[in-house]
Amino acid sequence: MRLDEFVELERNERAERRRLAERKDYAILDHVETFQDRFEESLSGDSLVGSVSPSIFVGRADYPNVSTGILSPVGREDQADAFRTSGAWYEEGVSIADVFERRTSLLNSNRTAAATDVHDAWDGWLGTQREVAIADRPVDVEIGLDSTPDLDLDVDRGDLGAPVGPSARAREASLGENPHVPRPVKKTLEDDDWRAQGAMTYLYRRGFDVYDINSILSAGALGQGDNRRLVPTRWSITAVDDTIGQYLRGTIRDAPSVDRVEVHRNEYLGNAFWVVLAPGRWEYELVEMKAPGSVWNPDPEAGTYLAAAHEGREGRTAYVEETAGAYYAARLGALEHLSDRGRQAKVLVLRHVSDEYWGPVGVWQVRETVRDAFEGEHGTAETFGDAVRGVADHLPISLGDLRRKSTMAAGLQTDLSSFLGGSDAST
Amino acid sequence: MFKAIVSASTLQDALESVSVLVDECKIRLNEEELAIRAVDPANVGMVDLSLEAAAFESYEADGGVIGVNLARLQDIAGMANSGDLVHLELDEETRKLHIEIDGLSYTLALIDPDSIRQEPDIPELDLPAEIVLEGAQIDRGITAADMVSDHIRLRVDEAAEAFSIEAEGDTDDVDLNLERDDLIDLTAGPADSLFSLDYLKDMNKAIPKDAEVVVELGEEFPVKLHYSFAEGMGNVTFMLAPRIQSE
Repeated sequence: MRLDEFVELERNERAERRRLAERKDYAILDHVETFQDRFEESLSGDSLVGSVSPSIFVGRADYPNVSTGILSPVGREDQADAFRTSGAWYEEGVSIADVFERRTSLLNSNRTAAATDVHDAWDGWLGTQREVAIADRPVDVEIGLDSTPDLDLDVDRGDLGAPVGPSARAREASLGENPHVPRPVKKTLEDDDWRAQGAMTYLYRRGFDVYDINSILSAGALGQGDNRRLVPTRWSITAVDDTIGQYLRGTIRDAPSVDRVEVHRNEYLGNAFWVVLAPGRWEYELVEMKAPGSVWNPDPEAGTYLAAAHEGREGRTAYVEETAGAYYAARLGALEHLSDRGRQAKVLVLRHVSDEYWGPVGVWQVRETVRDAFEGEHGTAETFGDAVRGVADHLPISLGDLRRKSTMAAGLQTDLSSFLGGSDAST
Repeated sequence: MFKAIVSASTLQDALESVSVLVDECKIRLNEEELAIRAVDPANVGMVDLSLEAAAFESYEADGGVIGVNLARLQDIAGMANSGDLVHLELDEETRKLHIEIDGLSYTLALIDPDSIRQEPDIPELDLPAEIVLEGAQIDRGITAADMVSDHIRLRVDEAAEAFSIEAEGDTDDVDLNLERDDLIDLTAGPADSLFSLDYLKDMNKAIPKDAEVVVELGEEFPVKLHYSFAEGMGNVTFMLAPRIQSE
């Protein structure tokens, strides 16, 4: 499909989606008020809470003395699985308000622990937490609370974690059942000579998605014995996206290139992604354009906020200051697609965050939207330059500004072999 | 057979120009010269180095090839004071390189040359513009460009007979404009290409500030940078593939 036709089609779909979208965003405020009521109904007299836990949370404040929590949807145990952050949220098409509702419905019962004490902790709090993390379905737990829940919402300004709901200090936790743990996860748990990166890649290749691996890594359930740590959830998300991305990048290192310029697009929760694939050796860049009024724009007066990060064939050596975890999440989506096709490409991802993105839902949104961008129709262009010009018409910034910000839009890296034909450069 | 004595600074200069691109390389020990050719793993930047026998205090070789870990060899060479002589001798039996510096001896295990990335073919390019300038001028342009961007534009203005080093950042611009009088020499021609600053910064590290550097440039073509060291008996050519817009 020609790029201009593709753009037109996308525009119509978008208008339709907008029309259908329910504007229930602010329902979240009512929800927070009702939470306290429901929690109080569920609270046992002796502060012992029986619930079901689909996942865990490890905080990053005061690392290595971290807050380590078991999450449970108190009073809504029958739907526990829906509270686990995963790609299923995208398929379900949850709204920003839905995400807030689900996250804030999870009670975070937590204790403080040294991140390094996890290797030999098989019983007690850390042991129970680990069982919840490695199980493949929500686990029955009983938690003894020390305090009543604190309802302050913790909204992550780093664009990584989903929002976190109420929390309460806990005394103890025990399992109400023997959790079901998949065999490959048992294998990585039991083998404490296995380096974390290799174990993560193994699980991914055995069909575990990054959400599962993230939870297992976070609980300190893989890696070489002495190196096992509780990993704060937000760090662990990036670590897994980066590690699996490096593995996938390796799978396409010597693969043939895509043979034409492709433009893919997808949009979800006020985040539009244009993904341009061009022939050549692996090169990747994420450029983010954040509209005034979207959650991440630090200075709305100054207009659209721009951020970019880039890597060549050897990857990055420095941390991505500007785009943080979104860089690795979008890269994972693109690499999964290329690895499936057995092709390499130059990949430019343009993320336009509109003011419809009023609440941060977590970086899963970036990962899933890019993953799904490759489904269905895509546009083609004669050259990468044509594709960038064609897309720039639909961006909130000018082509000139895009070229200033984006290394790839300014020019794609060639390699010396393409000049081996020996040529007269003056012709 | 290989046995040579060379000044520490000559050896250090030679190694630096290669190690900015690769971690390990093959060294050809030809009868008349020592030669290294290497390309970075992404095939974007290349170095071609030769050091004539006359650059050594003494030099005997018969055309062998050795593979070395450059960082290791640089560390050893770094043990020498300026003015020290470095004695090198290849033990054919053990495939190790014996290195002696002022009473310090070091035996360096070599790498099987067949396990090292193949030496690149050199694109034969007839580039229309040639700029001759001092290493310090290139350094000034690259340092300033690095403040605003991660890519850099090298351009010749044929009408004005000038060479410019330009960078466009998010908000700020840098332009180092050098007219004919500022340069050692200029052959003007159509030349305008964009390059990754990461690579140029690395190459710039190796270029002596007082060296006379010949820059060959075209339109969206690789740039070639030539300079000499060791009193003209060592020669380095860097070649760097451009970033282009047209494809």
